[in-house]
Amino acid sequence: MDFVTMNILESTMVSICREMGIVLMKTSYSTIFNEALDFTCGLADLNGDMIAVADYCPSQIGGMPLLVRSCLKEIPLSEIEEGDVILHNDPYRGGLHTPEHTFFKPIFADGELMGFAVAIGHIAEVGGMAPGGFCGEATEIFHEGLRIPPVKIKKRGKDNIEVWKLLLANVRTPRVNYGDLRALIAAVDLGEKQMAGIFQKYGRQKVQDTVRDLLLYSERRMRAELEALPDGRFNFIDHIESDGIEEDRKHTIEVEVTKKGGDIIVDYTGSSPQAAGPINATLGVATSAAYNAVLHMTDPSIPRNSGCFRPIRIVAPPGTIVNVDFPAPEVGGNTETHPRIVGAIMGAMAKAVPNRIMAAEGATHCNFVFGGVDADTGEFFACYDLEAVGWGGRAFADGNDAVDSINGNCRITPVEVYETRFPWRIESLAFNADSGGAGEFRGGLGYTKQMLCLNKEIICSQMTDRHLIAPWGLNGGGEGGTGATLVQKAGEEKWKTMREAYGKKSTSRYSNVSIREGDRVKLVTPGGGGYGDPGKRPKELVRDDLHEGYISKDFAKRAYKYQEAE
Amino acid sequence: MQNIIGIDIGGTFTDFVSYDPKTGEIHNWKNLTTPAEPIDGVLEGLERVEDVKKLDKLRLGTTIATNALLTRRGAKVAYVTTSGFRDVPFIQRGDRRSHYDITWIKTKPLVARRNCHEVSERLSAKGEVVEALDEAAVRALAQKIKAQGDIEAIAICTLFSYIDPAHEMRVRDIFAEVLPEMPISISYDVLPKWKEYDRASTTIADAYLKPIVSDNFRRMQKRLDGIGIGGKVGVIKSNGGEATLDGAAAAPVQMTLSGPTGAVVATRALSRLTGINNIVTFDMGGTSTDCSTVVDGMEHVTTSFEIEWGIPIQVPMIDIHTIGAGGGSIAWIDKGGMLRVGPQSAGAAPGPACYGRGGENATVTDANVVLGRINPDYFLGGKMKLDAAAAHRAVGKIAKALNIEPDAAAYAMVQIANNNMLGALRAVLLQRGLDPRDFTLLASGGAGPVHVCDLMEIAGIPKGLVPNYPGQFSAFGFIMTDARVDRHRTVQQTSKYFDAARATAAMTELANSAVAELTQYGYTQGIEVYRSIEARYLGQNHELELSFPGNDFNETTIADLWDRFHAEHEARFGFAIPGETIETVNLKVVAISVSEKPEMKTLAKGSGKPEPRGTRRVRYEEGWHEVPVFNREDFKDGDKVQGPAVVEENASVTILRPEQNLVVDRFGNLLIAS
Amino acid sequence: MKFSQNGLYIESYTKCTNCGVLIYDKIDQAVKGPDNASYCSSWCIDWKKDRDARRSKVKVTS
Repeated sequence: MDFVTMNILESTMVSICREMGIVLMKTSYSTIFNEALDFTCGLADLNGDMIAVADYCPSQIGGMPLLVRSCLKEIPLSEIEEGDVILHNDPYRGGLHTPEHTFFKPIFADGELMGFAVAIGHIAEVGGMAPGGFCGEATEIFHEGLRIPPVKIKKRGKDNIEVWKLLLANVRTPRVNYGDLRALIAAVDLGEKQMAGIFQKYGRQKVQDTVRDLLLYSERRMRAELEALPDGRFNFIDHIESDGIEEDRKHTIEVEVTKKGGDIIVDYTGSSPQAAGPINATLGVATSAAYNAVLHMTDPSIPRNSGCFRPIRIVAPPGTIVNVDFPAPEVGGNTETHPRIVGAIMGAMAKAVPNRIMAAEGATHCNFVFGGVDADTGEFFACYDLEAVGWGGRAFADGNDAVDSINGNCRITPVEVYETRFPWRIESLAFNADSGGAGEFRGGLGYTKQMLCLNKEIICSQMTDRHLIAPWGLNGGGEGGTGATLVQKAGEEKWKTMREAYGKKSTSRYSNVSIREGDRVKLVTPGGGGYGDPGKRPKELVRDDLHEGYISKDFAKRAYKYQEAE
Repeated sequence: MQNIIGIDIGGTFTDFVSYDPKTGEIHNWKNLTTPAEPIDGVLEGLERVEDVKKLDKLRLGTTIATNALLTRRGAKVAYVTTSGFRDVPFIQRGDRRSHYDITWIKTKPLVARRNCHEVSERLSAKGEVVEALDEAAVRALAQKIKAQGDIEAIAICTLFSYIDPAHEMRVRDIFAEVLPEMPISISYDVLPKWKEYDRASTTIADAYLKPIVSDNFRRMQKRLDGIGIGGKVGVIKSNGGEATLDGAAAAPVQMTLSGPTGAVVATRALSRLTGINNIVTFDMGGTSTDCSTVVDGMEHVTTSFEIEWGIPIQVPMIDIHTIGAGGGSIAWIDKGGMLRVGPQSAGAAPGPACYGRGGENATVTDANVVLGRINPDYFLGGKMKLDAAAAHRAVGKIAKALNIEPDAAAYAMVQIANNNMLGALRAVLLQRGLDPRDFTLLASGGAGPVHVCDLMEIAGIPKGLVPNYPGQFSAFGFIMTDARVDRHRTVQQTSKYFDAARATAAMTELANSAVAELTQYGYTQGIEVYRSIEARYLGQNHELELSFPGNDFNETTIADLWDRFHAEHEARFGFAIPGETIETVNLKVVAISVSEKPEMKTLAKGSGKPEPRGTRRVRYEEGWHEVPVFNREDFKDGDKVQGPAVVEENASVTILRPEQNLVVDRFGNLLIAS
Repeated sequence: MKFSQNGLYIESYTKCTNCGVLIYDKIDQAVKGPDNASYCSSWCIDWKKDRDARRSKVKVTS
C-alpha cells in the first residue's frame, strides 16, 4: 500500500466533501439545511461503495452506502452520461425517509465513468397530508409526501424540466424547495468537478488502486478495534411508547449483538411487527443506526468509508419496525427509531465496553413541524424544526445538557431567526430542572420552549417520543425526565396535552392540529438517564447542581439524600 | 515619516522590528517573552534602542486577551437578558464538537448560571415593543448584584436589540447609576447582529475581559510612561488595526487575535508594494501554522471565530485559519500501519530530536535535517547547532517501523506534513470559493520557506514569495499598521419591500460612528471609509458581501446592488436565481486612518547571476541532488536562480525544486515560479 | 424486487427473510431456504437456523 498517497488522497477527498457541504449550507433555503445542517456530502465509487464523506449528519453518513448501491441497481451504468444528476428519495429502495433527498452526479475521467459525487439533504416540505413532512398520523407512505424513484433531474448538463415541474407541483413551498434543490445540485456539481481534477492529477489507475487500499485500511482498523472488544452475545430491549395510531400500544426494539473476533452482527429479530403509524425504520435506517452505534464504540479517527462498515452485519427481518415493508409509513423511523436503536445497542454493550457507552439520552428530535399562510406576505410557509435533549450519564462524566440526539448533529434555530421567519413568538427557552437522571454521573438536562402563535392559524404536527417512557439509567442510575407537548388555548388557563385538547390518539405523535392566534404551545424535551449509584455522587457536585438550579431542593433530598441547613 | 517599532509578544519570543526614516534601515531582534508580566520583556528589548524618547510610535501585538480566555482567568460576570432566556448561553446551539465521540464534554460558557438574570422586556422581530422594560425590576436587580459583592463585570444582551437598542441602553444606564465603577458591556455596542446566542457569547466575553485587560493596559501604560513613551503606544486589534490603549480597553473582545494579524497586514502592504493582488499566507512555526488571504489587495475579515469549540466571539477579525501543525509535529504509526504526522508536537521543550535537548521523537524538522534541507550548522544563522545524528536516530525508528530507507521515511514525513498544511490552505481558498491558480503563496515563520516550494506544487499555486524577515513577519507588519474601526449591524430588508431611507439612515449612522471612534482617539489623518452589504436570496441563511459606494441608497445604487448580487452568486456557487427576492442582512463599515508607510529600501541592480557559496546534497522526491547553496545576503535586484537550489538566511531556508526558478525583486523578496 | 414489464413501476418487493435486504429480480441471486422462503445468501439461511435453535433452547430452560 502507498500510505503517503492514501493519506493525501483521503484528506483531499474529505475536504472536497466538506466543500460540497459548505456550498449546500450557504445556498440552501430551509432552516433544517442552513442552520441545522441536516445533510451529508460524500463520494462513491462504481461498486456503490462510499469512499469518503464529510462529518455532517450521522444518519445520512451510515445510510449513504445502501442508498448508492440500491440506485446503481436500477440505473444501468451504461445509461449514465456526463452532466446527469440523479435524484432519489424512495424509502423502500435504500432511502431513509421521504424528506431525505439524495442527489448523485457521475464523475467522468477521459470519458469514462469513475464514480459519483453524492449529497443527501433533508427537504422540509415534501407534500403529503401535513405541512413540513412529519405527519404523526400517517398510515401509509402516500400520506408522507412525494416518493421519488431514481430519476434524472438533469440530463447531460440541462435541467430535465418535466421532472422539476412534477416535483414542484406537489409541495406547498415550491419557491423554497426550488432553492434547496438548486443548492443540492450545486454541491454535487462542485464535488464532481473537484474529483474529476483528482483523477486527472493522479491518473485513473492510481486513484482507483489507492481508494481500494483505503477501504481495506479502514476495514483493517475497524477489525482491530473490534478484536479488542470481548467476544460474546449481548442483548437489550427498549420500547417506543406509541405510533400515533394505535392507542396505548408499546412497540419493542430488540437487539442481539454478536461480537466474535473482528466481526460484529447486529440482529434485530424479536422487534415488533411494523407499526400502523409512522415510527417504522427503513432498512437504510436500521443499517445506519447499527453503524452509528459501532462508530461510537470504536476509534473515531478511522477514515469513514464503506471499508469500515464491512465487519458490521445487520439482520433486520422484513415487515418489522426496523425494516418496514411497502406501503407502511416511516417518516419517524429516521429521527426517532434510529436513536432508540443506537441506545439499545449501547445498552447491550454496556458490560462489554463500559467506557464507550452512555445511559439513555433523550433520543428524540422533537420534530415539531408546522405550516400556514403568512399574513404579511400571503406566502405559504412550512418549517421542520428540531430541539436538543439531555445526554445520558457516562462512566466518567455527567451527560451533556441540551445536545441534539445521537443520529443528528443539528443546531437549534436561534430565536431571532425563528421569529423573523415564522409567525411565532418564543416566550421562553429554559432548562427543565430535575430532568437529568440521578446518578454518580447525572444525566443531561432537557429544556422547554414556550411559543405564542401570532398568525390567524398555524397547522402543526409532531413526531416525538419519551412522553411516557423515560430514558433509562445504567448501573443504578435514575431515569431521565420525560418530555411533553402542551397547549394552552387563547383565553384558557389550563395546559393540555394534544390528546386532551384535540382528542388525538397520542400525546407525542399527531398531525394537522389547528393552532390559532393567541394559543400557546410548550415543547418539553427529555433529559438523559443517570449512570451509577446516586449515593456515590460527591456532595459538592450535588450542592453545585442545587445552587446552579439544575436540581431542586426536593430532588436533591429525594434522589441524593442531600439537604442543606435552612 | 516616523520612527516606529513594531513589537509582537508571542508565546516564546517577543519580536522587535524597528524602522528609521532617516536611513530607511529596518532592524529586527528578539528576546524571551516574560509571561508573568509581558511588559518586562518589552522593556528589556527596548533597551537595545539608543534613545527611546526619539521613537514616534510603538505598536504592540499582545496575547493578554487570548490567554485570559484560553486559561479562563477573566472576571466574574453577571449576565442580564430578556425574561425567559437566561439559559441561552448554556443551551447554546445543541450541536456536538464531533461525531461519534462519547467522551465529549460540552463547553461551559464564561459565566455561572447562578449569575444569569432576567428582566421583563420584549421586542418583536420587527422591533416593536411588545413588553415595556420593567425599570424598577432592573434597579432591584442591580441592587441585588451590588449586595452580592463579588461580581466584577456585567454583560447585557436582550432579544432583538440589534433592531432597537433602547432597552439594552436603559438597562446599562440603570446599572451604571447603581454600580458606577462597574464595567458594563451591552450587545449593541459589542456587535449589533442577529442570532442571540452568538451575540450573548461575544458580549459575555467582552465583559469577562474588561477588568483584566484594563488592569494590564494601565500597568503597561505606567511602565512606558516611566521611560517617556507612554503616549506613543498603539495596540493591535483582531481586525489588524491599531487602537489606543484606552480605546482597546473599552472593547477588549476586539483584542482576541492580536499578534498573528501583523503577518497579514505586512502581506497586504507587500501586495501594494509589489502589485501582486492575490496572496495566500502561510506562516509556519514550531507548533502551529496560520493561513490567511489577501484578495485584490485586501485581507479577509470574518466574524465567525470561536475561542474554543462552541464559544463564538463574533467581532470582525482578520480571517486566520490556524492548525496545530508545525516543524515540531511528531511522526507516528497508527493502528492500521499508516504514517501520521502530528497533532502531537515536541514544542519548544524538549523540541525536535535534533535540538539535542532530550527529544527522541522524529519531528518534521528532524526529517528536514535528514533530507539535507535544513543545514545543522546554519540553523538560525548558525546561532544554534543541530544534532544531525539525533535526527537520523529518531527518523530511523520510523523508517524501521515502515520497513523503508531512512531518507524515504523522512521524505514521507515531509509529504504528510505538507498534506496537513494543504488542508489549511484548502480551508482559506477552496472552501471560500477561491481558485488557488490565482494566488501567490507567501511563506513566513521559521519553517514556512522550507515547505513553500513543495506546497506550491501540491496546492496548485503557481507562484511563491519569501519576504524579508520571514521570522519576524508579524512585528514587521506592525510598522505598517493603520488605525481601523469595523462596524456591523443587522438591518434586515428584502428587495421586494426595500425601505431606502431606512437603509440610508443606518449606513450613515454606522459610517459616522466609525469615523467618530477614530477621531475620538486622535486618529484624524487620511480617513478612508469602506461600506459593504451582506445579502442573500430570501430564505438562505448565509450571506455574500458586496461593496457599496456610499451612504446613499437610491434607485441606481440599489438596482446595481441586486444585479451584482446575482452575478456574485453565480460566480461563487455556480448558479443564480434570476428574479428571486434578495434579502439584505448586515450593513458593514470599515473606517481606516491611514498611517504613513515606511519607504522600503531597495537593492542595487545585480548581474542576474548570483554566486553560490557552496553546494550540498538535498533529497527530493526523485532522489538526491547536489545543489548550489546561496546566501540571501548576497542577492541583488534581478538575480535569478534555477532550481534545484537552496537559499539560506538567518531565520530560515528556502528549498527550490528542480522545475522551479527564483527571481529577486528590488526589495529583496524572493519570487518563485514553477 | 420485481418491476412491471414496461419497467415503470414495482410489482412486488422481495426481501431476504433473515436480514431484510431487497432482492432485485434478475440482478441479485436469491437462494431458497429449507422453508422455501427467499434468502440473499446461504449465510442468512444458516444464521436464521442457528438463531431459531438458540432461542427455542432459551425458552425451554426458562
